[in-house]
Amino acid sequence: MSDAAVPKQKDMSEPMLGALLLLPAVLLLLLVVVYPIGTLFWTSLHSVDNANPQAGEQWVGIANYLRAFDDDRFWHATLQTVIYIVVTVPGALVVGLGLALLANQPFRIQWPVRLSLLLPWALPLVFAGLIFRWFFEYQTGIVNDLLARIGVEPLGWLSDPTLATIAICIAIIWKASSFMALMLLAGLQTIPKSLYEAAEVDGASKWQQFVEITLPMLRPSIFVALIFRTITAIQTFDIPYAMTGGGPGDATETLAMYIHKSTLDFLDFGYGSALAALMFLFSMVATSGYLRYTRRSSGRGAEE
Amino acid sequence: MNFNFSRRTTVWLAAIIVMVNGFFPAVWILLTSLKTETELIRSPITYLPEAATLENYMTAFTAQPIGRFLLNSVVVAGLSTALCVLISALAAYALTRLRMPHRNLIMSLLLAISMFPLISLMVPLFKVMRELGLLNTYLALILPYAVLSLPVCTLVMASFFQDIPPDLEAAAMVDGCSRVGALFKVVVPLAAPGVFTAGILAFVNAWDEFLLALTMMNRVNMRTLSVGITLYQGEFAFPWPLISAALIIALVPICIIIAVFQERVVGGLTAGGVKG
Repeated sequence: MSDAAVPKQKDMSEPMLGALLLLPAVLLLLLVVVYPIGTLFWTSLHSVDNANPQAGEQWVGIANYLRAFDDDRFWHATLQTVIYIVVTVPGALVVGLGLALLANQPFRIQWPVRLSLLLPWALPLVFAGLIFRWFFEYQTGIVNDLLARIGVEPLGWLSDPTLATIAICIAIIWKASSFMALMLLAGLQTIPKSLYEAAEVDGASKWQQFVEITLPMLRPSIFVALIFRTITAIQTFDIPYAMTGGGPGDATETLAMYIHKSTLDFLDFGYGSALAALMFLFSMVATSGYLRYTRRSSGRGAEE
Repeated sequence: MNFNFSRRTTVWLAAIIVMVNGFFPAVWILLTSLKTETELIRSPITYLPEAATLENYMTAFTAQPIGRFLLNSVVVAGLSTALCVLISALAAYALTRLRMPHRNLIMSLLLAISMFPLISLMVPLFKVMRELGLLNTYLALILPYAVLSLPVCTLVMASFFQDIPPDLEAAAMVDGCSRVGALFKVVVPLAAPGVFTAGILAFVNAWDEFLLALTMMNRVNMRTLSVGITLYQGEFAFPWPLISAALIIALVPICIIIAVFQERVVGGLTAGGVKG
């Protein structure tokens, strides 16, 4: 598009200059991502023999991967991660959509509402985890206090595996839904008012307008938000770390937490790397879905 | 008349629900931070502090070096933001305004690589940084954080660069500017809102990051805020008034940023997401 207006430069061709401008990004990615990934796969094929630690890291082939398949804690952490994904992705979408619809009102002053959506987004995850841990404290937490007011006995939110999982999901959904809401709100604001007016004339109910106009028009925003949320949910770490530390026992531990523990607490780099490589494969699936979508939509943008 | 009244009520109700959802946790820790330990363990619990005290805030500064945590976070987030914005500005420019073969492919590749899950990166990055002797240095976080925000910054700036008329750049070059000179003298100033938005997003991302900060810095004096905050808890004891006070102190900078730049932030988030 810019081709016609830009005079032809003799000193350097555009692809050359482009490559030069991309160089810093490429170098940084090589140092911080590509080289470490290489060592990740390499390390995952090695292990330190506990009987002979002086020998250093020995080649063990795929033994670390085989070990993962027999490791109950790995499967439990994977299952727990899947639970967080399955619960919090749709959960955050529903809550986020609700917040976006509520926030999409003709407020005379916009900023307090906008700020209340931004604050949970900007809050570090680990802060959210700490705050929700405080909400769910057995004796002094506000959740049990509110439950007591409607006659429910205090619950051991953080000491029971199921309740702890529920508490963590609530915290994640609260934290993630505001970002969803911001994205969906932007989507809502692009829907032409005339569509609703026409539907009104045709006698469509609010619910019909929501299902027939709002949802279909929001589909691209919903899709992007869901992919983002899924990629983040695969890596769930901070909130369970702050709320339960993985406990009680290892009940609420995620795959990310187990990898962190294997590597930095047990110093088992070979095994930790194998787990991290498996995690990489899981998230590649989600990322490729996102990329396929963006490439399709950027192609569409070029046609317009 | 009746209809108008109920319409106004709905709007108010909607605003209140959204605001309670967003602000309640912050309000609750603010209230907690003003209570004493003795008031805290009373049953039933009190909502408003009975004898408000600022003592927890004093203790927050003496119990842990929170000033140092703040400084570390400012340095790490600030420098990684500068690096990230510079690098992604160049990349976004190359990908939107130059005739490059395989533009979309390069863009996708850049994004795919930088979206590599942090947790998988953590293990090998720890080894790399240890080999380079960079553990417990700012660089150990600055470099990865610059990558962390590379995709969103590139996308945001690309969407702004696209909107600048190419004629302006051509005019600058006719006047004797080099292509790179034109980028910094014409395109960047015109895309300043985009550059600025990208910077805020990168800053908040770096400020909030926890996992790498926990991994790369194990000296108390090098901890960033997000990790430093977790040091207020004992192994079994959670001094909630003290933790709350520390949280409030840590929240002040981020609250100022989002309050002052809220429109930019919202615009940037949605440009990276919806347009992306």
